[in-house]
Amino acid sequence: MSKLIHYRDKCIGCGICYEMQQDLWRMSKRDGKATLIKAEKKNKTFVLEIKEWDKALAAEVAVACPVKIIKLS
Amino acid sequence: MLHGKTELLSPAGSFDALQAGIDAGADAIYFGVEQLNMRTCSTPPFTIEDIAEVAERCKKQGVKSCLTLNTVVYEHDLRLLDHILKEVQQQGIDAVIASDFAVIEQCNRMGIPLHISTQANISNVEAVKFFARFSDVVVLARELTLKQVEHICKEIVRKDIRGVSGELLKVEIFGHGALCMAVSGKCYLSLHTQNASANRGACVQNCRRAYEVTDLETGQQLVVDNEYIMSPKDLCTIPFLDEVVNSGIHILKIEGRSKGADYVYTVTRCYREALDDIANGRYTEEKAAGYMKRLSTVYNRGFWDGYYLGRKLGEWTKSPGSAATERKIYIGKGTKYYPRIGIGEFIVETGSIKNGDTIMVSGSHIGFMKETMQTLTVNGVQAGIAGKGDKITFPVTAKVTPRDKLYKIVGATNE
Repeated sequence: MSKLIHYRDKCIGCGICYEMQQDLWRMSKRDGKATLIKAEKKNKTFVLEIKEWDKALAAEVAVACPVKIIKLS
Repeated sequence: MLHGKTELLSPAGSFDALQAGIDAGADAIYFGVEQLNMRTCSTPPFTIEDIAEVAERCKKQGVKSCLTLNTVVYEHDLRLLDHILKEVQQQGIDAVIASDFAVIEQCNRMGIPLHISTQANISNVEAVKFFARFSDVVVLARELTLKQVEHICKEIVRKDIRGVSGELLKVEIFGHGALCMAVSGKCYLSLHTQNASANRGACVQNCRRAYEVTDLETGQQLVVDNEYIMSPKDLCTIPFLDEVVNSGIHILKIEGRSKGADYVYTVTRCYREALDDIANGRYTEEKAAGYMKRLSTVYNRGFWDGYYLGRKLGEWTKSPGSAATERKIYIGKGTKYYPRIGIGEFIVETGSIKNGDTIMVSGSHIGFMKETMQTLTVNGVQAGIAGKGDKITFPVTAKVTPRDKLYKIVGATNE
């Protein structure tokens, strides 16, 4: 099982994660930042265990993020 | 605190820079919050909660405050926009700088004074007339010549073009700082290479690097003219500032929300003094040369006069990074403040400091402070030198916090 970690504070709301993988991301209308759906909040990060079949695309999303705040581990 | 007829508008990307700008004599400051500003990646950015403190500090000093909201705005940003504008209204921020029509519309609906950002690329009087329906100030495109600027200013008076407030529309231009290689900042280089949109404040500055051209037939690589052909030098209007003032503009803007307190203080101070000299008829070539020398001490890529004097192409930098004549070396951070005697305590975390060294403090209350260390007090006793782990004390102008940084200033060539 892989974990996707989102350092949400530094999100600039460009929306590329949401554009690429809508199953995992949505754009918050509250503050305009990306939200990792159903992720657990740990300190300042949001962590979500993702399915094996989501992994390849999630890795691409992590690379695509312009401010490099998405990590796959 | 208007010092003459031209208002000086300084950048603030942090409380340090904000205080430095105010102390140096800015008539107004501009800042951005959250991700809806063109310097989103400046760390740490101001938040909505900071708006109150920025407004309070500016009001206390009689300085106007302007909030920039000039990024591309997406659908999912609209509620955030609403939150920000409500706070702007509540805290009494003087104006919003915008180019997106949603922001313009919302400001008008809420009765918030508006400046049209340079991102709108206003280059002629008809465009000025169009935007006058929504705003009180227009920031002209940075690519105009001074002659074109002058013409627009004259036409505003001749055609009696008035803004929302009913007063004659005011014109703002950029006076100093970094220039973008793209027209009015509409650049996609950063977006194409790293998905980082410059128009969302995430520019990674591809233009500031050196490139080679490869001949695909032979594979031969050419270094083009040995210059950074996409990296313009920094704009500086000091050598012809009197002409800039006489063009009829009302506001002169300094670029640099991602710059430190030292930069904001030095540049604001130079332009403040220069504008005052012009207002008093005392501006001379010698004075201008003196200001240029002082401006060279802080971050710069070399200076040129932008497009104002009619140059067709940008003048490019010859080396990476800054050409500043001075360099700051990090020494340590603030630890204590003794308010009754106005003394600050700093811990030396790296390097050393000795009597005669020039030190600089950047702090959210101090803003910018630079002086020569006369009598060094180390761990409570007078000493000649302080090293790692030592605590040094000296008089300061305002409260010291643990986020305040102490630097040593050295010549740029010193190692």
